[in-house]
Amino acid sequence: MDQLLNPNFGVFALTVVNFLLLVWLLHKFAWKGIIGALERREKQIADDKAAAATAREEAQQIKAELDAKLQNIAAEAAKKMQEAVTLGNAQKEQLLAQTQQQAERLLAQAKEQIEAEKNQALKEVREQIVNTSLLAAEKITRQQVTQQTAQNTVDEVLRELNTHK
Amino acid sequence: MIEVSETIAHHILDHDFGVMVGTLHLPLTVHTVTMFCISVVLLGVGMLMARRGKSVFSRLMSTIGEEYVGFMRDGIVVPGMGQEGRPFLSYFCTLFLFILFSNLAGLIPEVKTITSNIAVTGALALCSGVLIVYCGIKFHGVVGFIKTFVPGGTPWWLVPLIFPLEVISLIIRVCVLAIRLFANMLSGHMVLLSLLLIIFIIGQMSKIAGTGAAIPAMGLEIFMTCLELLVAFLQAYVFTLLTSIYAGLVIHSH
Repeated sequence: MDQLLNPNFGVFALTVVNFLLLVWLLHKFAWKGIIGALERREKQIADDKAAAATAREEAQQIKAELDAKLQNIAAEAAKKMQEAVTLGNAQKEQLLAQTQQQAERLLAQAKEQIEAEKNQALKEVREQIVNTSLLAAEKITRQQVTQQTAQNTVDEVLRELNTHK
Repeated sequence: MIEVSETIAHHILDHDFGVMVGTLHLPLTVHTVTMFCISVVLLGVGMLMARRGKSVFSRLMSTIGEEYVGFMRDGIVVPGMGQEGRPFLSYFCTLFLFILFSNLAGLIPEVKTITSNIAVTGALALCSGVLIVYCGIKFHGVVGFIKTFVPGGTPWWLVPLIFPLEVISLIIRVCVLAIRLFANMLSGHMVLLSLLLIIFIIGQMSKIAGTGAAIPAMGLEIFMTCLELLVAFLQAYVFTLLTSIYAGLVIHSH
């Protein structure tokens, strides 16, 4: 059992050589490639993260711009709407006034026309009466007028008058 | 009557094959042959992990390799040594796997634990010690490295006392690396062997008692084997971690 704590220097030296050789071989054929792949992947992930962060910032900026534009558009739309309502109301008032005026004018015209036609009709009636009277007077004058014939003539005139109504 | 110490010694101690080349005695022993085998297996595993194939196995191995290297870098080297430790990542990756495979090999029947040989653990500790000194010289220069043995603010008259103490402290740290690994692996295997020997020792006295003793002894044996499995990982981790911490202390000492 004393051998346990008495190192064999040959084994010691061989272990050192073997281990250092193994470190070199594994570095050359294994770890170098794995570390390279790992670092490339990590770099790619870091680049992707950075790109994602940049894209996110850009997206946020675009969103902010769009929000601002949207707010402007909403305000502008509200303003336009207000203007349209005001304009519509003004036009409505104007149209109403115009319609009122036109209706009044038409009514006045109709009244005038009715009055004129009425006057014309009366005038025609009067003329007719006068003509008939003249005709009757003429007929009376031409005939030997008796009481009876005069009465007949007047009746005839009245009948004609009734006929012309 | 079973000679306990001889039986344990037979299973634990190294055996020289006595190969001579002329007058030169080659250190070809059971432990060194095992070490070569472990190195070949490790080299094969390493190359499998580095290979970029498209098969499921290749992808699995490369994923394991990347995870392992990532763990070593982010879990041991960078926390212990900082970013300055990155160039030494290959050394730590090899060190951990070499110790782990050496420890685990002892759990395979008929294969001896080479880390229960003080020469092997001593050699590994020497390599780590050289790495620590190399780090000190690389990052501080020879004079700067020597100055790191005297903590800042030490009175001049204490320097002759502190300096040798600090040098001895570094040497002891490195030696303790070797002794810790050696003692843990040796004791674990001695316990495993002793538990098995209990069955035969009691069996020599009474076959019935020996059979009865086999049941608790085997239970304990299984428990200890599981514990050894844990210790195998733990000791590989501790050795590697402490090496990185000691190297980090030298790199970052002011």
